[in-house]
Amino acid sequence: MSIFGSALLWLTFFSGLGAILLGIWALAKQRRDLLGYSRRLSLISVWSVVGAAGLMLLAFLTDDFSLAYVARHSCRSLPLVYKISAFWAGQAGSLLLWNLILALSLGHIHGGQKYRADDLDIKVSILPNAVRLLFNIILLFLSQPFAPADPIPRDGAGLNPMLQSLGMVIHPPILFVGFSCCLIPIATAVAELLWNPGRREWMKQARPWALSAWGMLTLGIVTGGLWAYTELGWGGYWAWDPVENASLFPWLTLSAFLHALLLPDGFVGKGMLSYCLAGLTSLLVIFGTYLTRSGVLDSVHAFSNERMGNVFLGALVIMAFFIIGLACYRRKHLLGTRNSQRTTDGKTALLAASIVLFVLIFAGVFLGTVFPLISHVFLEREVLLDESFFSTISLPLFISLFVLMGAHTSRKRASLVIRVLVGLLAGAISYLATGGHMLGSISFAAAAWALAGQIMELLGTLLGNRDRRRIGAIASHLGLILMLIGITGSSVFVDEIYQVVEPGDTLEFGGYVLEYTGLQVQWGIDRYKVETELTIGRGGKVRGTLSSSKTFFEANDQPHTDVGIFTTPVEDLYLNLAGWQGQTAHLHIKRLALVSWIWAGAAVVLLGVLVLLRGDRNARST
Amino acid sequence: MGKRPVVIGGAILAIMLLGFLAFQAFENAAVYYYTITEAASLEINGQKIRIKGEVLQDTVTYDPQKPLLGFSLSDGHSELPVKYEGVMPDNFGHAQEAILEGVLTETGLNADKLMLQCPSKYEGV
Repeated sequence: MSIFGSALLWLTFFSGLGAILLGIWALAKQRRDLLGYSRRLSLISVWSVVGAAGLMLLAFLTDDFSLAYVARHSCRSLPLVYKISAFWAGQAGSLLLWNLILALSLGHIHGGQKYRADDLDIKVSILPNAVRLLFNIILLFLSQPFAPADPIPRDGAGLNPMLQSLGMVIHPPILFVGFSCCLIPIATAVAELLWNPGRREWMKQARPWALSAWGMLTLGIVTGGLWAYTELGWGGYWAWDPVENASLFPWLTLSAFLHALLLPDGFVGKGMLSYCLAGLTSLLVIFGTYLTRSGVLDSVHAFSNERMGNVFLGALVIMAFFIIGLACYRRKHLLGTRNSQRTTDGKTALLAASIVLFVLIFAGVFLGTVFPLISHVFLEREVLLDESFFSTISLPLFISLFVLMGAHTSRKRASLVIRVLVGLLAGAISYLATGGHMLGSISFAAAAWALAGQIMELLGTLLGNRDRRRIGAIASHLGLILMLIGITGSSVFVDEIYQVVEPGDTLEFGGYVLEYTGLQVQWGIDRYKVETELTIGRGGKVRGTLSSSKTFFEANDQPHTDVGIFTTPVEDLYLNLAGWQGQTAHLHIKRLALVSWIWAGAAVVLLGVLVLLRGDRNARST
Repeated sequence: MGKRPVVIGGAILAIMLLGFLAFQAFENAAVYYYTITEAASLEINGQKIRIKGEVLQDTVTYDPQKPLLGFSLSDGHSELPVKYEGVMPDNFGHAQEAILEGVLTETGLNADKLMLQCPSKYEGV
C-alpha cells in the first residue's frame, strides 16, 4: 500500500510538472501537435492523485494500520462515516484532499468542450497545476500520507472525539472545493494575458468559478461555525481566531471581485480592479494554508510545522511576484482605453462603494490578524489584538454594506419611503428592546431597510421578466440579510447562568422552567458517559428536553463534552454539563437569540447561488 | 471633472475611515505578551497581557458556583497567582502549559481567557 501510494504521488508530481513545461513550451513555439500531450500529461496527473486518494480511502476502510497516517487517525471500532472523514483529520490527509479537489476541477476544465476550443484548457491549467506541484512537493517530502508505520500496531489510535461530528465531516471538503475554485479566476486571467491579450473574455469565464467558490466558501465558513457552536462548548460560533479569519479573507476579496464583474464594461479600470481582486483571492487561499500549517500565530487549529511554512511562504512570494509582474506587463490591456465611458450612474457608484467596503474590511481584519507578526518586528514585543478589535473595525463596515444593499434597489419614491419607514421602525423597536444598544439597533435597522428593498425587488422580478439571474442574486442577498439578523440577535441578546443543582431542583431562566432530575452513567467498551437531561417547560407545558454529557475514554485523559441545544426560531437554549460531585451538577446555561437564522440564511444564500449559476448557464446557451 | 481626483479623494477618505476605526479599536484590544518573570516587575496599569506558563496543580482551587478557578502559574523562576472566572476545562487536571489573557492586579492576574496545551495522543486539530 505504502509503495503504491508513494508511486502514484511521484507520478502525479512528474506528470504535472511535465504538463506545465510541455504546455508552456508548445504554446511559445506554437506547436499545437504537442499541446495534446500536455493535456494528456495533466490528465494523468489528475488520475494519479485520484488513485492515491482512492488508496488512502481504501486503507481507512480496511483498517490498514501499516500506514502510519491511518494508524494515527483511525481505529477498528470507529463508525464508517468517521473512518471516511478521518482521511482529512490530519495534516497530510487534508493536503491530499485539497490536491485531489483541485485536480478534479482541472479535470473538469480539460473535459469541457468550451475550454477545449482554442486550447484554452491548457492555458488555464498552468497556474492550478503549479499550485498542485507545491502540494505534491509537500506530500512527497514534508508530510507523507503514505509513510509506513513501524511497528504496525494492532489497532489505531482513533479519531479525536472533537472531530467525530458531522460538521467536521463536511467542513474541510467544502472549504477545499471553495479554495480550489478561488484559483481559477486568476488562472483564466493569466491565460488570456499571456496568450490571448487581444481578447477580453476572462472575466466571463471566471464568473461561474468565482460564484461557485463564493458559495462554497460561505457554506464552508458557516459549517465551521456550526461545528464550533455544537462541539466546542463555549456557546459561540465565531471567535476571530487567525484560522477562522484565514477563511474569511478570500471570501471578502471574492465578494469584492463578484461586484467588480458587475461594473459596466466602460468603467475605467474595471479590468485592472478585477484582476487585482482575483489575484489577491488566489494569494489569500495559499496564505490561509500557510497560516494554518506554519503555526506562526497561536491558534486553536494550528498544525505547526516550520519547514512547511517556509515552503508555503516561498511559493506565496513567487506567485505574488508573478501576478504583479504580469499586471505591470499587460497594464494597457487591463486598464482599457482612455476614452471609456465617463458618466457614472447611481447604481454603479453604489457597486463601487461596496467594493471599497469589502476591501476595507479585508484590510482591517488582515492587519489585525497579522499584527502579532508586525509588532514583533517593529515594537520588539508581540502584541495581539483580541476579538473586540475585529468587531469594532468590521461591524460598522459590514452594516454599511447592508445600507448600500438596501439603497441598490428601486429608485421609486414609494419604495424608498417604505424602506426608510421599515428601517426606522426596526431600529426604534430594537433600541427599546435592547435597552439602548446603539450598534445592535443600527444593525437591525440596516437589515430591515435592506430586507424591505430586496423583498420588493424579488416581487417585482417575479411579477416581471422572472430573470433567473436576478432572482438568484436577490435570494443570496436575502440570505445574507437573514444571517446579519441572526448574528446581531445572538450578539445582542445573550444571557447565561452558572448553577449548582441537586436532583429535583427546578430553575427559572429566561421565561423557561428547567427541571434537573439527576445524572445517568452509561458504560461502553472503552468509555463511559455521564449525562444529564433537563426538561424544558414554558407556560405550564413541557416543550422539550436538553441533554449534555461528558464521555471519558480509557485510552485518553481528555474527556469529551457534548452540549445540548434546544432551538426555536426565536432563540436557542444551550446547556453545558460543566462538572459534578455525586449527583450535584454544575450547569452552564446560555440563551442566545436568533441563532438559527444564521444557518437558515446560509441555506438561502446557497440556494440563491445555485439559481444564479443556473441562470448564467441559460443566458450563455441562448 | 476628471475621474482621477475623485478616485484619489475616495481612496484617501477610505483609508482615513479605516485608520480611524483601527485606532479606536486598538486601544481596548491590544494584548501584550509577557513572561511571568517580566510580569512580576510590571506596573499595574490595566493593560491586557498574555502569559504562558506551567500550571502548578497542587495550587488549584475551584468554586463551581461562581464559577471561579484559581491556581499559580510558573515559568521555573517566578510564580504568578491567577484567578479565572469561568468553567474549569475538562482537561485542566492534565494540563501542563496554559496560556492566559487578562489584567494584572495587586493579587495576581485576573484572567478572562484560558487556553490549555495538553499532552495529547491526537495530532493537533
